[in-house]
Amino acid sequence: MKSRYFLSHGFSGKAKGFRVKAAIVVFFLVMTGYSPGWGAVGCDLNDPDRDVARLFPESTGYKTVYVSVAQKGGESLLLRIEKRLGDKFHGIYETIDVPYTIYEIFAGKKKIGYIHGVNQKGQFGGIQVFLALDPEGRIKAFYIQKMTSQFAGKLRDAKFGRQFIGLTLMDLELYDVVTGKASGKVSAIKNPVPEAESDFRAALRATKKNLILMDEFVYSSHSASSNPGRVQK
Amino acid sequence: MISKFQVAYKNLLRKRTRSILTLIGIALSAWVLVSLLGFNQGYESALNKDIDNMGFQMMIMAKGCPYEAATMMLKGGTGLRYMKESIIDNIVNEPEVDKITPMLMQAVFDPNKGESGGISAYLGVDPRSFSAMKPFLTFRQGGWFVNEDSYEAVMGYEAAELEQRETGDMILIPEKNIQLKVAGILSRTGTQDDGTIFVPLRTVQKIFDRSGELTTIGIKVKKDADSTLLEEKLYKLPDVQIVSLAEVKHTIMKLISTAKVMVLSIAIIAIMIAMVGVINTVLMSVLERLKEFGILKTIGAMPWDIFTLVWIETLILCTTGGILGIVLALLLSRVADIVIRQILPYAPSGGLVVINLKLILITLSIILCIGLLSGLYPAWKAGRVRPLEAIRSDV
Repeated sequence: MKSRYFLSHGFSGKAKGFRVKAAIVVFFLVMTGYSPGWGAVGCDLNDPDRDVARLFPESTGYKTVYVSVAQKGGESLLLRIEKRLGDKFHGIYETIDVPYTIYEIFAGKKKIGYIHGVNQKGQFGGIQVFLALDPEGRIKAFYIQKMTSQFAGKLRDAKFGRQFIGLTLMDLELYDVVTGKASGKVSAIKNPVPEAESDFRAALRATKKNLILMDEFVYSSHSASSNPGRVQK
Repeated sequence: MISKFQVAYKNLLRKRTRSILTLIGIALSAWVLVSLLGFNQGYESALNKDIDNMGFQMMIMAKGCPYEAATMMLKGGTGLRYMKESIIDNIVNEPEVDKITPMLMQAVFDPNKGESGGISAYLGVDPRSFSAMKPFLTFRQGGWFVNEDSYEAVMGYEAAELEQRETGDMILIPEKNIQLKVAGILSRTGTQDDGTIFVPLRTVQKIFDRSGELTTIGIKVKKDADSTLLEEKLYKLPDVQIVSLAEVKHTIMKLISTAKVMVLSIAIIAIMIAMVGVINTVLMSVLERLKEFGILKTIGAMPWDIFTLVWIETLILCTTGGILGIVLALLLSRVADIVIRQILPYAPSGGLVVINLKLILITLSIILCIGLLSGLYPAWKAGRVRPLEAIRSDV
């Protein structure tokens, strides 16, 4: 083994060169790769090429757009979003300047939908909830990209996600993110793990927040008549 | 009375486009030069800062292929090599050693990170010696662990941001299903610490069943101590390898020097082009004004007067161009920083292009000296014009 070579031969030139190489490799990794690549405050797809193709099989391409509440309307928009959500933005991470990544999905030149994710505080860590939406704001797919919990598998299961398909912001408008009280279609969403009630509620809050943000950032520029998912402000 | 400076300035304005193009040439050369000198200074100080921010100048790791050791640090658990904690006794007694801090890194596979899972890493540290070695670490919330074996964690800024944790929140170690309470969140440091989850060493040893084992020992060498001697002594210890950051720095600087030579060559070429531009502009101006110089001489101007008049034109061009270039460099230093980071395989955190007053004065002096040298020939040519010949000429 090379390390044995330089140990048994003291500080020969070759051994020293090898040692330096070793030191550099370790140094680079310590400085750049040691941590598992924590991202910024935003919420991006881990592998956009693969994930877009999976969530929109008919897509031929996508465009990435970055927006923030600060940039789109500032304090007044934040207040409006909080009012619609029925809850304040919490903590030090849910702030006005969080950059949201919106993936605009295309089939040829036609825009066929969006993918948008939000971070949400969960019981044991951050939860990343992504929604694939059609051009009218209806959920096509629900995907939890990251969740830390003993029960994460059940909440990330496709069976749980299927309960969200077809829902619009209008369906979630009446969901109370503070008490967890639901009515209409949302009340039909079953928590597969009663022990993980807080993470289940966090997933619902993230879904509502996601839809409100998309409505403010994207759908509000569309006409309300052609957009059944949009709720009038 | 109109001064020589005013006359020279007005002469330059007579051929405005030509003067502006020459100015641009000089400004670009000054920009390249000052940015290069700024990079030369900035990179080294940023690298020094990064190394200082590690808190230790030497690391001891279990013996093995260094590439394997590197993979270990990147991938965590699988293939990790360990050394016995008792090795510390052999190190602390060395006279060159100031402080040491033992570490144990462990990683688990988290199937619920993305589509195909990911790694969550935990760095077991001794709260007392680690914090003493990194006094620059400050807390955004909370503080270090209370006990050496408490089930607590301190999170780097970015780790906490991604996991949306605040003090008092819980984190879960996947696979082990063990919960840790967040005791503190560090302020941003711009180093690898931002993405690290620190756990008391004894706790990590217990959770991962690695009692009495370590992956790394950080060593702070005493000031003025011979680190090479210490390194040689440590190599005699069984089954360990040494990573010396002084050597790393030296080698990185050697690698970077190749890039510096290339950029310096470009800067020299740019300066030469600018120099030719200055000669061309001033010489053209002199040739166009031969008759004028002839008349000036007939009314009493001496060759030195004509020489200084033309030389002042060069001085104005070089000073203005040099200042413009320096302003450009100051304005675009952030852009240069970003571009350099894209090109270099490794760039330390902090400013890579640092331009201070000393650099500004050096650059301006270089540009002025070279510019004035370039102006010598046209000024000399103008000074030795024969009045009658010049007045009779067609120019």
